[in-house]
Amino acid sequence: MAIDASAEIVTPPSRRRRRGTAKVNLGLISVPLLWLIVFFLIPVVLVALYSVGVLTLISYDKYLSLELWRYFLHSDTYLGGPLGRGLFWKSLKMSFGVSITCVILAYPVAYMLALVAGRRRYTLLLVIITPFLTSYLLRVLAWRVLLNPQGVIEAVLRNGGLVADGSQISWLYNSTFAVYLVLAYSWVPFVALPIFVSLESLDLQMLEASSDLGASRVQTFRKVTLPMSMPGVIAAFVFVFIPTIGEYVTPQIVGGKAGYLFGNVIQSSFSSSFDWQLGSAMSVFMLAAVAILLAIFGRYLNMRSVTE
Amino acid sequence: MTDTMSDPITPAISIRRVTKRFGDITAVDDLTIDIREGEFLTLLGPSGCGKTTTMRMVAGFEEPDEGDILLRGEDVVGVPPNKRHVNMCFQNYALFPHMDVQQNIEYGLKLKKVGKEDRARKVEEMLSIVRLEGYEHRRPGQLSGGQQQRVALARALVNEPAALLLDEPLGALDVKLRKQMQLELKRIQHVLRTTFVYVTHDQEEALSMSDRIAVMNEGVVEHLGTPREVYERPATPFVADFVGVLNAADLAVSSVDGDRAVLTINDTDRVVAPATGHDLAAGSLVLVAVRPERIAITRGAAEANGGSRLSGTVAQVVYLGTLTQFHVDTSAGKTFVVHQLSTEGSEAIDAQDDVTLTWPVEDSAILRVGADAAAS
Amino acid sequence: MNAAISPGGRRTLWVVFWFLVVFLYAPIVILIIFSFNDSTIVSFPWLGFTTKWYEQFIHEPALLSALKTSLLVATLTSIVATALAVPAAIALVRRRFFAKGLVSGIMLAPLVIPLVVLGISLLILFNAVGVPLSPYTAVIGHVVIAMPFAILVMVPRLQRIPAALEEASRDLGASAMQTFRLITFPLLVPALISAFLISFTISFDELVISSFLVGEQATFPVYLYSQLRLPERLPSVIAVAVVILVVSVTVVVASEIGRFVSERRLEAQTGMAADDIGSLRGGKG
Repeated sequence: MAIDASAEIVTPPSRRRRRGTAKVNLGLISVPLLWLIVFFLIPVVLVALYSVGVLTLISYDKYLSLELWRYFLHSDTYLGGPLGRGLFWKSLKMSFGVSITCVILAYPVAYMLALVAGRRRYTLLLVIITPFLTSYLLRVLAWRVLLNPQGVIEAVLRNGGLVADGSQISWLYNSTFAVYLVLAYSWVPFVALPIFVSLESLDLQMLEASSDLGASRVQTFRKVTLPMSMPGVIAAFVFVFIPTIGEYVTPQIVGGKAGYLFGNVIQSSFSSSFDWQLGSAMSVFMLAAVAILLAIFGRYLNMRSVTE
Repeated sequence: MTDTMSDPITPAISIRRVTKRFGDITAVDDLTIDIREGEFLTLLGPSGCGKTTTMRMVAGFEEPDEGDILLRGEDVVGVPPNKRHVNMCFQNYALFPHMDVQQNIEYGLKLKKVGKEDRARKVEEMLSIVRLEGYEHRRPGQLSGGQQQRVALARALVNEPAALLLDEPLGALDVKLRKQMQLELKRIQHVLRTTFVYVTHDQEEALSMSDRIAVMNEGVVEHLGTPREVYERPATPFVADFVGVLNAADLAVSSVDGDRAVLTINDTDRVVAPATGHDLAAGSLVLVAVRPERIAITRGAAEANGGSRLSGTVAQVVYLGTLTQFHVDTSAGKTFVVHQLSTEGSEAIDAQDDVTLTWPVEDSAILRVGADAAAS
Repeated sequence: MNAAISPGGRRTLWVVFWFLVVFLYAPIVILIIFSFNDSTIVSFPWLGFTTKWYEQFIHEPALLSALKTSLLVATLTSIVATALAVPAAIALVRRRFFAKGLVSGIMLAPLVIPLVVLGISLLILFNAVGVPLSPYTAVIGHVVIAMPFAILVMVPRLQRIPAALEEASRDLGASAMQTFRLITFPLLVPALISAFLISFTISFDELVISSFLVGEQATFPVYLYSQLRLPERLPSVIAVAVVILVVSVTVVVASEIGRFVSERRLEAQTGMAADDIGSLRGGKG
């Protein structure tokens, strides 16, 4: 064997060339993106303009003014200071409570479906999800039927003698409890899905390895399963928490006076009181809050943790 | 336009000073290769050496940052893959699952608007060449790995491309099937006389199938030559080590005697290597190497007859069926591997035995002069 | 030993599961039961079995009109949302482009925005531009919230179709459009159907955005909501809603069965599990 130093090729000269790639990339995403820009982003900008008086309902009344913002930010009804008694904080707290409740209820079920149910898991998942795919109004109505003073639950309790005739359980209906209950009921199926997906993607061998190395089941859950399913949990939480801040339908149907929340004010300022400027300011404020929350939680969100 | 098919000078594929970067990494660095019409050329190298990237640039799925690529004399840089007259055989076959074998094979023909009867005839021809007659209406999922491979081949070749590009096509097959398919591919290439450009990291595969091999490392070709040349006369230490098993040791030159260098180890042991082409003096440190099948191994003492001689102890005997492999801790300070055909009395030598290794002068090679911390 | 759960834990979880199922379905079931109650109060006492509430709604022109409007809006929404989701999914999965992260954020953002804000912002837009409210403006709003769901259904399906198939098609001479038509699209059909159905469901059931954008012509949920103020209308309103519920559950179950069947058929044809279409390394030998 010998080294052959002459085993190379002579290199001919060449010229540099610019490479042109088809701009198909831009074309594909452009129409959907355009739709969202025109019908989502631009309207939001318009809302902001409304809130400072640049745009108004009545065309001769236009002038830039932060007066309304000052009013709104100092009001007790809507805010009452940071984490105060205002409606916004009330909505935020309620939404938070509902989301936590949903996650706590949904996690064991998702765990069961993903890790225990075996081959039947998708069918059972469908069983859980189906209520969510039916009419939202109907489900809220069903609870109204159940909870109201003439409704099923109180009728049963009255017949059973647990409640005196003529009286009623006040916290059951037209109450904060009712709002919490019905909202949690509505969202639990939805919450189960991303948690299920992230648990299902766990490699069972990891759990077995943990066990092999000496961990008990509880320890394995705490150190392996729970942390690894966190992206799904956080995604689920965020997907309930943020939209629910502006929820007004359920509060109105089962909440009575206690059900007057931030979303209700926005809705009525556009549909009945025609105070579009106030409504816009409140919406902008809520969007700002949403943006902040997304920034906080956004680190945990990616496409994967959310795909069904 | 010249008839490039009958012009023996114009290469089928000409890659000229092509460079491709991905961010900070230069995957292909000023590469130049001419691939001849009708040859079976393999791009051989470890992962990341740039062989697949080069192939994808020829196919049109990547574009070079610098340099030119010519197919039969025509510049194809910037031309999209569907307009280039080369076809590719993908690593995982990429057969269309919702079409049967016939529809898969005729896919390219249909796009070229070939008539129904012509298509059927060509598909039949191809199926018989790849020995899958009668499989027209099977679905890819019903085929074994080797059969899928042959359908992928047929699908590409039916378009009579200027060259067929094969990207590690046999990687997913088990060993026995792989060896069968290697012979099949060689046979088909001979029948059709199409230029084959083959990418693999398996040097045995490259040696057994290729007319020429381009050994690549870190974006450059270190050696382009026939299998025999690449194995017996590697151009660089990398090639020597990558292709085949290599025994190598860093030793100092004790004397230069005409056209041979003598590297003495002790009173009885020395390595003698040809000194031509290297500038050596007494005291130079060199990396010297020898192939395992060139070494004679004897129990006890043996004569060197002017060639190299090392003594050592057998650390391990590995029986490989045809070959027996001896791992010997030698006086050169390294463990040398010796290959012997299992019939040649190799049963007589066991682990822990003292042995002598000898080989002729011309079977040694000096790979590098001077110390190099990074070398093998 | 199962590393994920102990035998006792398994039993507990099954119990929790069935409790949740009961909790989820009981209100609906109770509602359905009482919809047959011959009483204007949807509750006890039980005054007798009747189907009159179900018969009544056929004679309600406003209700029938609302149903028709909802069907129209939902169909249009599904078509547009699905049609837009396909190129979006392809761009997100297969292509590299500038500010991809930002763009995918925008595409999915409607999922997290409170619906009331989406509704009023579009109301403001249409008011500012002078577009009158109609079912078509509602469609526009519905597409905004349905598109992200459609994309989320398409993306995993597209990811499971290996890019090598599209490369092979181009290698064999197909243009990008031909590749999409002959290879990508046929393999995407199950996802298209799912995306369509999800968009339809979302749109049909949508209340908040519709109530702001639909103008004079109510959709069904908007109509339902407006009837809630009238307690004597409640039983017939509930009857209609129950019918819709049964229809939608049937559709969901049927589509799941349909998807199941089409996947099994694809398996039989191609000879491999639907999930393995990507690897194509299966089969015998």
